[in-house]
Amino acid sequence: MSAAGADFAPVGDRRPLIAAEGVWRFFGGRAVLRDVTLVAGAGEVVLLLGPNGAGKTTLLRVLAGLLRPSRGKVERRGRVGMVAHHSMLYDALTAEENLRFFARLRGVEPERAGELLARVGLEPRARQRVASFSRGMVQRLAIGCALLGDPEILLLDEPLSGLDEVSVGTLLELLRESRGRGRAVLVASHQFAELVEVVTSVAYLGGGRLLAWEPRGERGGAAIWDRYREVLSGG
Amino acid sequence: MTSRDRAWLLARRGSVVTAVALLGLVAVYVRALFFTPIERFQGPAQKIFYIHAPSAWVALLSFAVTGLLSVLYLWLKDRRLDLGAAASAEIGVAFSVVMLTTGPLWGKPIWGTWWTWDARLTSTLFIFLLFVGYLVLRGALSDPEVRARYSAVLGILAIPLVIFIHVTVYLFRTLHPDPVVLKPEAPSLPGEMLVTLLFSLAVFTLLYAGFLTQRYALAVLRELEDQEAADAVS
Amino acid sequence: MGEGARAVWAIAAKDLAIEWRTKTAFVSALAFAVLVLAVLYFARDPTAVASLDVAPGALWVTFSFAAMLGLNRAFLLEQENRALDGVLLSGVPRPAVFLGKMLANLVFVGAVELVSVPLFILFYDVPLWHRVPELLGVTAMATLSFVAVGTLLSAMAVRTRFAELMLPLLLLPFLVPPVVGAVQVTARILAQRPLSEVAGWLKLLAAFDIVFLFLAIFLFEATLEE
Repeated sequence: MSAAGADFAPVGDRRPLIAAEGVWRFFGGRAVLRDVTLVAGAGEVVLLLGPNGAGKTTLLRVLAGLLRPSRGKVERRGRVGMVAHHSMLYDALTAEENLRFFARLRGVEPERAGELLARVGLEPRARQRVASFSRGMVQRLAIGCALLGDPEILLLDEPLSGLDEVSVGTLLELLRESRGRGRAVLVASHQFAELVEVVTSVAYLGGGRLLAWEPRGERGGAAIWDRYREVLSGG
Repeated sequence: MTSRDRAWLLARRGSVVTAVALLGLVAVYVRALFFTPIERFQGPAQKIFYIHAPSAWVALLSFAVTGLLSVLYLWLKDRRLDLGAAASAEIGVAFSVVMLTTGPLWGKPIWGTWWTWDARLTSTLFIFLLFVGYLVLRGALSDPEVRARYSAVLGILAIPLVIFIHVTVYLFRTLHPDPVVLKPEAPSLPGEMLVTLLFSLAVFTLLYAGFLTQRYALAVLRELEDQEAADAVS
Repeated sequence: MGEGARAVWAIAAKDLAIEWRTKTAFVSALAFAVLVLAVLYFARDPTAVASLDVAPGALWVTFSFAAMLGLNRAFLLEQENRALDGVLLSGVPRPAVFLGKMLANLVFVGAVELVSVPLFILFYDVPLWHRVPELLGVTAMATLSFVAVGTLLSAMAVRTRFAELMLPLLLLPFLVPPVVGAVQVTARILAQRPLSEVAGWLKLLAAFDIVFLFLAIFLFEATLEE
């Protein structure tokens, strides 16, 4: 499959669920994304790597449809769940109310809220306001929220930030599950050592450009780190 | 030719137009003061009219241009349209100030009052206030894209608002009889005065065109500079 | 439409739930309304101007200022953790987002007005009890217009520096037609005159409602990041 002109066939050979084709994005005349082409099909987990300001967050927001590409196009086949820098939750509402609200917007049974709370280990805190939550709890709730309605596409921006070991384990489990159930996942993270086993391909971003994009193969965390430095130094 | 060169060329053209218009303005003054008869009832004070009415016209014109460019910006998303709308708004503020200061100067000796809440005066006052709000809003936003979109929204909303304000004051006045005997309307002018007025209108319109071109070119140049600065950082 | 209507309702209900929980905005808007009513009662020469003469103006200055206090709150809420992104991600049609926010604002402002009116009748001793339906009618018309524009402008104002200052500066010009119209109609009601005398004003209010409601719905999309 090379629907979007990708120069290799990613793992999980199916129609892409999400595709960015030749995407540019400018902010006030400054190019933050330069001609990025990236696709993810069912069962793929793409790891986005790049230094600060490489355009990872912008790329995810463009893919989510929150930002319009200045040039190029984005195609989505399915609904999007997202974990972003900001929790996208209401502090004044409880965990459960937040989930129920977003469930209603997505046309999902509000009862699913309870299951998801249990999934991210927040059931005992269901009736507490998000304002009283720690960073890690907020992040867990945000992950739960992204999974509402079981969206076909998951976009995760630094999903591990603030999570303890147990929660990281839960997230990995969720990602593995998503992969198995044919979801497309894009995840930007600096803590990739923990994620690496679920990743199917790695995209290296620098200065708004996609510097390289290759299947993970058998690479482990250390090998990806070496490759990352190699790519960044222009290798 | 780089975009910087093009902007400079445009600025230079604008300054030529402005120079011609300023010469024309001198001619307007000379003609209005020495070669146009003094109005029988209003006396020499009426000569303010030759500055006041054209300023009002340019204020209105710049308001309409800002509104039109705002609509076009939201449609086409071309940044140049936004810069043009902003340039027009700034000129509009300047001419509104001329209009709002010359108006009372003329009004006091003629109607016996500095100000009256007539439909035309009120709507022009609000045009001025909306221009000010428009420019303050622009100043309070740092991202150029957001600034462009937000000010376009305001620029579009302002047009029907001014029409509504005009109608509101009209309805208000018909309920409460006008205390002023002379209405602030342009009297039907005899030939020579009309020629002076038309000449002045033309000169002011040319002045607007010159200012607009220069201000727009400056905005483009400033943007290019910001862009270069941003690129230098990254 | 079913889906859109559900989203409108969900968003409005969520805003009102949050407001109900804290009540800060409501209580302060209400206290503010009482204060303005009281100050305006004394802001006249009692030997020259009867309280009844200033009553309609006082009522509408109070309503519009109190409303302005509440309007920024709606989008500050969305701004906090960028919750609005979450709403947009869920695929809700954008006009529905606007209508949801506007509906919550209408309920908020309406509640402030509903509590202020009896106070107004008491404070200004106006013979109004039997014409309350007409007063409510004109209040609804004028409130709809400035809440529509106010919701749109606050979506922009919260993203600026000095948001609290920006909203009044932008919104006040838009209050001229509805407030002048509402004052005229209220004055006729207080003078025990029939509404047919103010048909022109009612038409103006209706036209303003229609024009600006449509413009606001249409322009809202441009206030969202894209």
